[in-house]
Amino acid sequence: MGDAAPAINVSHLRMGYGERVLLDDASFDVQRSEIMVILGGSGCGKSSLMKNIIGLYKPMAGDIRIAGKSIVDTTAREKALLQRSLGVMYQSGALFGSLNVLENVRFPLDQFTTLPLDERNLTARMLLHQVEMAYAEALMPGELSGGMLKRAGIARAMALGCDILLLDEPSAGLDPITAANLDRTILTLRQSLGFTFVVVTHELQSIFTIADRAIMLDPVSRSIIAEGKPAELRDRSADRRVRQFFNREPDKGTQTSGG
Amino acid sequence: MPAAGNAASIVLDGRITAYTAGPVWHSALDTLAKNADRPVVVDASRLKYIDDVGIAFLFDLVRQQRPKGANVELRDLDPRFAALVAAFDPKDFAQPAKARRHVGMFEHMGRASEKVLDYVEKMVSFSEECATAARSALRIGAFRWGEVLDIATEAGANAVPIVLLIGFLMGVIIAFEIGLVAQQFGAVIFVVNGVGVAMLRELGPLMTAIVFAGRTGAAFAAQIGTQKVNEEVNAITTFGLSPVQFLVLPRLIAAMLVVPLLAVLADIVGIFGGALVMEGFGIGFVQFYHQLLGAVGAGDFVIGLVKAAVYGLAIAAIGCQRGLATGAGATSVGLSTTSAVVTSIVWIVVIDGIFTVFTS
Repeated sequence: MGDAAPAINVSHLRMGYGERVLLDDASFDVQRSEIMVILGGSGCGKSSLMKNIIGLYKPMAGDIRIAGKSIVDTTAREKALLQRSLGVMYQSGALFGSLNVLENVRFPLDQFTTLPLDERNLTARMLLHQVEMAYAEALMPGELSGGMLKRAGIARAMALGCDILLLDEPSAGLDPITAANLDRTILTLRQSLGFTFVVVTHELQSIFTIADRAIMLDPVSRSIIAEGKPAELRDRSADRRVRQFFNREPDKGTQTSGG
Repeated sequence: MPAAGNAASIVLDGRITAYTAGPVWHSALDTLAKNADRPVVVDASRLKYIDDVGIAFLFDLVRQQRPKGANVELRDLDPRFAALVAAFDPKDFAQPAKARRHVGMFEHMGRASEKVLDYVEKMVSFSEECATAARSALRIGAFRWGEVLDIATEAGANAVPIVLLIGFLMGVIIAFEIGLVAQQFGAVIFVVNGVGVAMLRELGPLMTAIVFAGRTGAAFAAQIGTQKVNEEVNAITTFGLSPVQFLVLPRLIAAMLVVPLLAVLADIVGIFGGALVMEGFGIGFVQFYHQLLGAVGAGDFVIGLVKAAVYGLAIAAIGCQRGLATGAGATSVGLSTTSAVVTSIVWIVVIDGIFTVFTS
């Protein structure tokens, strides 16, 4: 228990919707201060896996532990406390539409701290600085682009001092510079504050830049088909699909003539 | 068609597209069927262009299962087109296309009843959640009064004009309708009793509730539904907050406070409208006033208010529940909104019936 336990431990997880199983008997750990990437083709359950980890969906079987404590088999109160220790950035940013950017980032502080407004504002503005969003503090979510929503979402996820951050497709749809900045932000946070990251992403460049380790989900076998360092998986994986994914190769078969 | 050796032949010419493929496809399959045990040569040398239907046509010719020695040979097809046809494997298309599953009557009924039961169960557990949230909010004094005030302003103050208009018209209309009938019996003075009781006990709260369901019940479902679709509800949950306590409770409280207030306004302008009409029937304001005091009691007024509060609670609860039950995508927000209004109006009538049974 305590510090010895991995940040996140998933054991024998079975999950899905209704009768449709997306993942069966999946087990993996995320160590502290590790950046772990969840990969897989569209519709294989990456986002669902994340929602199981943060306790929004209930697994069909198996257990998920956050810093040694189960988020599956627990009371509503304990679960709420565990959830508060996780910072989550949703695919769409999920900012509250009725609050401006600064108020969104300040929201968790408003709810759970007794800090005076000035202090809360300062903290929120510094968080926005960290994700290079300071200039947008007064804008409403409806006025932001996709990339800005995501960055504000990350700032809000960090507001309660959570040291485990889960990011759902942080760099999808971002321009290369913003995406690279985001990767740098993630690396900096890990290096200086020892944050643990679980990142769901497709972006190969981002994966090679930030990931210590990756797991890859497969919708056909409904299991984790690869686990390891991205570069090693690319070069040495025994599974053709894994190498194909990392090398960005199309399926065999369809070929246009001309060659 | 000229045959080379003992082979039958099909000659393709020009462009085969969605618009021209029909007859060609038909006659080609015909030729294949007529020459079931002879090889068939498809001469595609003069083919200029094919689109997706053309590709499917050529693919259909070469994928035919035929006896040995009776193959279909595609000859001189432009390599650009050949690559398109070769990209598909006949094995992938061996199964006929799956039709949408037909649902029988019994399955249909079963699924419908399951849905109703499921809905009842959801509504019960939602009420339970609301009660739990209200209790814990009471205990720690964590009602979000600022939010309640905002919602009450939007749902209440901003609804005043329309409630006044509808309340006034209701008073005028019933006074006029009953007045015309009562006039024939020389009982015009008793129209005052009718207008008073009807407005206070029935029409004031009812019309207010229907306006509220259309205006605010729908808005609650749409607001919370959109927040659900945008994952804002998930975000609230992962902050360790309860969406019911955070989003639903303020709306329930605001609705319970605001609907009775609006109903009082509807009562007042309705009776005023009635008084105006009675003036035309020869009953002055003073006479109207004294007759009214004799006809209605505080009980009628209070029952109307209690009804209005219950309507408000029901409308807000249904709106919020529909909102939280929203699935994915913009369409489901629309469905939730519609369902919130329809369900609310049905429940308003049911609750009205229950009140009538127990208070008369």
